[in-house]
Amino acid sequence: MAAQRTRQPTRRWRQVVRTPLGAGASLLMALVLLLALVAPMLWTDQADAVDTGNILAGPSAEHWAGTDNLGRDILFRSLVAARLSVGLALTATAIAIVLGLLLGTAPMLLGRRLGRLVTASVDIAVAFPGLLLALFFAVIFGVGARGAVLAIGIAGAPSFARLVHTLVAGVAARDYVAAARAAGVGRVRVLLRHVLPNISEPLIVNATIGAGGALLSFAGLSFLGLGVQAPQYDWGRLLFDGIGALYVNPAAALAPGLTVLLAGLAFNLFGESVAKGLGVATLGHLPERRSAGPATSGPPTIRAEEPVVAGDDEAPVLDVRDLWVSFPGADGPVQPVRGVSFAVRRGEAVGVVGESGSGKSLTALAVSRLIEEPGRVEAARLQLLGADLRTGSERAQRQLLGTSLAMVFQDPMTSFNPTRRMGGQLAEVARQHQGMTRRDAFGRAVDRLAAVRIPEARRRAGQYPHEFSGGMRQRAMIGMGLMGSPALIIADEPTTALDVTVQQQVLDLLQAIREADDVALVLISHDVTVVGEVCDRVLVMYAGRIVEDLAAADLATGAAHPYTRALVAAVPDMETDLEQPLAVVPGRPVAPGEVPAGCAYAARCPLADDRCRAEDPQLASFETPDHRVACWHAGEPIPVDGPREPAPVDPVELVEVDAP
Amino acid sequence: MSTPRPTSQSARPTGRPTAELRFEDVTVRYGSARRGHTAVDRVSLTVPPGQVVGLVGESGSGKSTLARAAVGLAPLTGGRVLLGGAPVPTRGRRRPLQMVFQDPYSSLDPRMTIGDSIAEAIPPGPSREERRAEVARLLELVHLDPDRAAVRPGLLSGGQRQRVALARALAGDPQVVIADEITSALDVSIQGAVLNLVRELQRELGLSMLFISHNLAVVRYVASHVAVMRDGVIVEEGPAARVLADPHHDYTRALLAAVPGTRTPRRTP
Amino acid sequence: MTTANSAVASTPATPTSGPQAGPGGRLSSALTHHWVRFAVRRLARLLVSVWVLVTASFLMIHLIPGDPVRGAMGPTAPAELVAARREALGLDDPLWVQYWDYLRGLATGDLGTSLISQLPVADVVAQRLPATVSLAALAFLAAVTVAVPLGVTMGVLTRRGRGRRTELAFTTSSVVLATVPDFLLGVGLVYVFGVQLGWLPVAGNVGPEAYLLPVLSLAVGPAAILARIIRVEMVTVLEADYVRTARAKRLPAPRVYLGHALPNALTAALTLGGLILGAMVASTVLVENVFAWPGLGSTIVSSILNKDYPVVQAIVLVYGVGVLLVNTTVDVVLALLDPRSMIRED
Repeated sequence: MAAQRTRQPTRRWRQVVRTPLGAGASLLMALVLLLALVAPMLWTDQADAVDTGNILAGPSAEHWAGTDNLGRDILFRSLVAARLSVGLALTATAIAIVLGLLLGTAPMLLGRRLGRLVTASVDIAVAFPGLLLALFFAVIFGVGARGAVLAIGIAGAPSFARLVHTLVAGVAARDYVAAARAAGVGRVRVLLRHVLPNISEPLIVNATIGAGGALLSFAGLSFLGLGVQAPQYDWGRLLFDGIGALYVNPAAALAPGLTVLLAGLAFNLFGESVAKGLGVATLGHLPERRSAGPATSGPPTIRAEEPVVAGDDEAPVLDVRDLWVSFPGADGPVQPVRGVSFAVRRGEAVGVVGESGSGKSLTALAVSRLIEEPGRVEAARLQLLGADLRTGSERAQRQLLGTSLAMVFQDPMTSFNPTRRMGGQLAEVARQHQGMTRRDAFGRAVDRLAAVRIPEARRRAGQYPHEFSGGMRQRAMIGMGLMGSPALIIADEPTTALDVTVQQQVLDLLQAIREADDVALVLISHDVTVVGEVCDRVLVMYAGRIVEDLAAADLATGAAHPYTRALVAAVPDMETDLEQPLAVVPGRPVAPGEVPAGCAYAARCPLADDRCRAEDPQLASFETPDHRVACWHAGEPIPVDGPREPAPVDPVELVEVDAP
Repeated sequence: MSTPRPTSQSARPTGRPTAELRFEDVTVRYGSARRGHTAVDRVSLTVPPGQVVGLVGESGSGKSTLARAAVGLAPLTGGRVLLGGAPVPTRGRRRPLQMVFQDPYSSLDPRMTIGDSIAEAIPPGPSREERRAEVARLLELVHLDPDRAAVRPGLLSGGQRQRVALARALAGDPQVVIADEITSALDVSIQGAVLNLVRELQRELGLSMLFISHNLAVVRYVASHVAVMRDGVIVEEGPAARVLADPHHDYTRALLAAVPGTRTPRRTP
Repeated sequence: MTTANSAVASTPATPTSGPQAGPGGRLSSALTHHWVRFAVRRLARLLVSVWVLVTASFLMIHLIPGDPVRGAMGPTAPAELVAARREALGLDDPLWVQYWDYLRGLATGDLGTSLISQLPVADVVAQRLPATVSLAALAFLAAVTVAVPLGVTMGVLTRRGRGRRTELAFTTSSVVLATVPDFLLGVGLVYVFGVQLGWLPVAGNVGPEAYLLPVLSLAVGPAAILARIIRVEMVTVLEADYVRTARAKRLPAPRVYLGHALPNALTAALTLGGLILGAMVASTVLVENVFAWPGLGSTIVSSILNKDYPVVQAIVLVYGVGVLLVNTTVDVVLALLDPRSMIRED
């Protein structure tokens, strides 16, 4: 078990050395440490050899960097000084770390009141630069190596304490710490078992960089004559001695200067590349798994054009055919959206339902041209109000999208710019696309805020987003979409972050807007019941495909795809039979990078057979032209005892998906 | 009715009887007296032995604070939390009141194996071997492979993690379990399995449970009693069937009316 | 005599003038309320910090092991002379009396007398301060002027994992530049421009061109760090939901970057940037010694070496106040840019 615990970090640490920068930095670091270790053993005699006949000489074959005022070899002295310089720096860093850890963890261990006092003191101390503190303590501890070590160590403690405090507070807020405390685990044990291991990486990185800083600070103090005193010498002392002779033998100052610089670089670059290496390992937004089967083969070039809008002459507001979205992954492109086709008529409300990773949000972003590089969007057709969104000048597109398409995003708390007033954020749209003056645009913004039922709209327009409640912000977001005259509103999980009562207000508002101006709506949600209530038609997405397209009224009883049926049955509503266990979909949703061959749902489907696992069913009409299903067993009854209880053991095989 | 699983594993080692959890005039205030904020305002609530009480409310209603106060994670400003008539211990290793948290991605230490996480919650006493056996038993209880005890949570899905969290709560040999929004961070196809497991465990082990959720339909499915909380106050409580069918308080009515799907679905034009 | 005193006395005025110069009349009452609370809190923190600073500088001389006067005058000085000097400095009084005298002295602009030159310390400080302030201010300006556009450009170029090579080159070179300590850079510049080329003066404040090298030495490191922080913040901000909203409004790219992303990136960067800019005040000590700059930095070092403690005390105090002024200014700017930062501190 212990081996298992260390395996994963080692893997990530190894990643650090693999980059050229990381490898170089590690090498340099090793070199500096080696030099500190062996240089005094090898070259002390040469470094101390006095040659009075050869004082302050320039570089020569005998003395590569010349000699000092006693005729001693500068180069050897610079090399030998490595041990004292690095040793002092590491000692000072150790002092800073120990003090920093004590002060930084004190708030957690001492309890609220005392902890606050410690934090406040650290906050005051941290505002003063390290050098100033070092000078202060150097006065107290006296001029010399010992005083300088203490001064630099203590001066480094506040910033380290602040770092530890921030990291500890971050981890302490996590639920696993709360869970351990609730389970009766003591404070010290929580600190040792849960908190410190989880902050060790940033601590090590910062300690390394801190050591580099200490090394250079030491050089600074010695350079001022406040650090190491003769006959001892470190790099700073050599520099101090050398600068007086800058015009006679520049190498006397430049040689120790360069060595101290290289050593400082070694520490800092090593620390930075470790930080970067570990950071990269935790960042990856897309799974690194390669996708098996046809998913990597790219969009097929020719596809049957499906009759999407049956029996309707009017051009659809939005017409999408064979839409693909891909992102570069570690092992070739990943395709979270794979050939989606649908159309939205004027005034129609279409719901898009799916779980996380089904591609529903990316479909919305792709349709509204908001996917940025490196993401790629391809489609056989992508039209808004008859205009092709794949071609055309950027200017014309901006105008069309800016006035005809309104977007509402999931999280109203983060979707407004926190540093700007609400009114201005709305007015910006009218100024940009309608050429209004500042005053007119602001008036329009107030009018729109009132239109989305925000009381005291004029006063509210002068406020910042954080002064609005969540529901009010979401209404303001809708109001922002109404600055133009939208024909289509795309709302991506507009109520997920809101309370139920507020959710109802927002949904009602969207409904009212639709009815008033015949605006079409694409409502994306994970919640079947919400979509079923608001929409006319529902698209069910799974693993980047539409698997079923049906009338909302048919959701409860008329769904033909086993996934749709499971989705409806798995979610309890106010009519669910309390005597029966809920339907369970075994396994987990397919991640975009690992779509299998055949039907993506086959692994979780009670109806799946060999054909399902080999051949991917296409979306085709089922019973009526308006009802489309992608399933080889569409409408077949599901075995009477319902989907079985999940196997006692769920497969545990995925790579790590979350950042620690 | 429930899933036909062998009942042998439901035998509890200590067989402690479940007890009544009672909140008496519980108040939780944050901040100073002048500029403070009362998160929970003199709440009294009883979870009868062997029953599930659903606590419903919107964000900021104080329902999570009440739960955290019960296990000692939030300071009580006033009132008492009693378990079987005695104050709930919030110090020491024995914790007869356990809690399951909302976010399974943050409630398990990413650096600890799930076995260690569960074992940590077992009160001291048993030998290393006994602990290992107990971890295996608990994992089996929540339908996870006991051989996977050495796995880190990073390899598990949200649903699996939430089952580990349930196992950890049970490891403390609790008389009462508080479940705080345990399905709201899960994908819809997975949340059903966790709800089934909650019902199964509750019935097999006869646990008392305070089940907190913002989702009325979920509470209706799990709980026999319902309490509705708003602005730190419980506005209505009673048997689930009665409260949901015949709400007395306006706010309960508003909540019920807002449940999606309760209004007539729209017809296709 | 008055310069040092006014530096101390003027500090409380800064934060209170902030709100009035703030967003003006169209404030909602809630926001005004936040401004008042912010001003009061910030002022309280400043006062506490100044008190800590004053007390620390007072205690410094008492924390030194042994007799500071004996240390300053050397082991050969006659005992009566040492005793007389101790008497003159008031070191034989009870500690609280000395503290009171010290505070009263500060309030009237009396910083004591130098042990070495017997001159009033306030005169020394007044004479040396302008050179240091002008040096720090110019370096400060130079760092910000370079770092902001550079960081923003780099942020835009490397957003969403683009320009991997640009990012690597920028990050590496900024780490390298930030590592080069100012005094070492100074020595290098002296060598190249003074010794080798002979283009620029390398010692003393002998004219406008004399500022060039010291300012450069001071500004390069902080500019590199600041640019790096701004880049990281810019990249983070460009991923934010509100930037997506701005794009959904179909604003032209420059408006998205400068209008929506930049203010947020700056507020985030300023929190750290304040510390870096504050540190520049102290960095002048080293750079002044390289360039024989007639400021406080060269004075404090010689005073430490000569154990001229009253001078050291006073200069530490002046530097500390300078740092606090920078920090307070940064906080006020932050509050002007981002109204949430006032509340967040609660």
